[in-house]
Amino acid sequence: MIEVHGLTKRFGRVEALRGVSFKTKRGAITAMLGENGAGKTTTLKLVLGFLRPDSGTVAVAPGRVGYVPDRPAFFAGLDGWTILTLARPRRDRRASGNGRGFGALVLASSRSLLFDPALLRRRPASYSAGNAKKFAYLQNLVVAPDLLVVDEPFSALDPPSIRSVRDILCGLREAGKTVLVSSHMLAEMERIADGFVVLKRGETIANAGLREWRLMRTARKAPDLESVFLRLTGAEGPG
Amino acid sequence: MADPVLLALTWRVTRRRLLGSPLAIAAALAFPAFVIWIGVADSYGTAAKFFFFLLPHVFLIAAQDTVRSDIESGALESVLFLGGRFRGFLDRKGFALSAITGAYAAVLFALFAAWGLAAGGYEPAFWLRFALALLAGFYYIALAGALSYVLRAGSNVLVLLLVQAAAVGAMIFSTTARTGLLDYAATGEFPGLGPRLVFGALAAVLPNVVVSGRLSVFAAEVLAGLGLALLVQSRLARQLELRS
Repeated sequence: MIEVHGLTKRFGRVEALRGVSFKTKRGAITAMLGENGAGKTTTLKLVLGFLRPDSGTVAVAPGRVGYVPDRPAFFAGLDGWTILTLARPRRDRRASGNGRGFGALVLASSRSLLFDPALLRRRPASYSAGNAKKFAYLQNLVVAPDLLVVDEPFSALDPPSIRSVRDILCGLREAGKTVLVSSHMLAEMERIADGFVVLKRGETIANAGLREWRLMRTARKAPDLESVFLRLTGAEGPG
Repeated sequence: MADPVLLALTWRVTRRRLLGSPLAIAAALAFPAFVIWIGVADSYGTAAKFFFFLLPHVFLIAAQDTVRSDIESGALESVLFLGGRFRGFLDRKGFALSAITGAYAAVLFALFAAWGLAAGGYEPAFWLRFALALLAGFYYIALAGALSYVLRAGSNVLVLLLVQAAAVGAMIFSTTARTGLLDYAATGEFPGLGPRLVFGALAAVLPNVVVSGRLSVFAAEVLAGLGLALLVQSRLARQLELRS
């Protein structure tokens, strides 16, 4: 679904990425892990086309792509409903005609996200951080993406919302969609992800499926993903 | 260009931002009020001179804060702008702004012409002067748009206003030959290349001077400047990356 090969990116003197390569599988949740400054967000932005690589290639299978940023920002002048209607694909507009189907989809998606639909009358720029994050998910759910890229999926969310977002991500996987998430919440990632990409100082140090990951865990005699991650990144000495 | 969703988004964002800008609203209200005051206090003919000369500045005020703030706000890092579509959005913004401000200018011109027809001061050449004022206005939007890739908030417009003030001030307070320049401009006849070049430089920062209708060479210069500014903007948009 996503194939990244030899990606490099430099910002002035800072070498943000130094040959990042990984593959994600269709119908799977892949977690991108790494310490602060490892290059996770830069990699996501290159995959999404917000940045251009200095070298290397990014191949994304054809289909709709969605994106939920870590801290979503919105145009100050537009209310939530207007933004949702603008995000709606043209094909769907023609198919649903009067927009009643779209309204039902928005309501259902809002419910699954624990998002109050009355907020759509207001401008998202005025939402709390948690509601802004949920609105960013809502914006993507109405697009029905084949690939969803999420930067810090649970940031700013309360525990019930974390659970609903987790269910949504798993639901997308069950529907055959592909999800790429970048997160520091290792316990959550261990619960939902099927594969992992670990970055360290702009390089890929691991790209493994769940089975390989479990083998690594066993071989390293580590109790959980956090322990494996800390050992891989060298943040914790051998215990 | 053939992306109706992106065009609708650009149109709505630009329109809402203009309507939400106190400075743009104040300029849009103050300009016709000033022209009416001149017309009532003096004559329709004098009001016409002010109307055509100042009309491009309505475009300039509207062109504040067009690009940099959007980039820095993070609003372009959204599902709406994936795959480099944010570049298309920024490219279209200038056109949307020109269309909105141009529509406002056309309404004002229609009302002003109706006043002239009723008062008996309307001249057919006003159409040409209006077209030249639009050209100067579009040039301002393109120039301010290119500047706003590097200057944040309204500083793109402020820089242009300061350069204009410096150019006009230099002309007034420097040699007497500069005073002659204004006379040449009034007749549209320049005695040599030197005065022409100096006036050309003035037209590049204060394109309003072309509205007299006698300065067609300088109108061509403003048209070329418009094309150049659009080209620069297009290149800047193509090179742009969202790093924030």
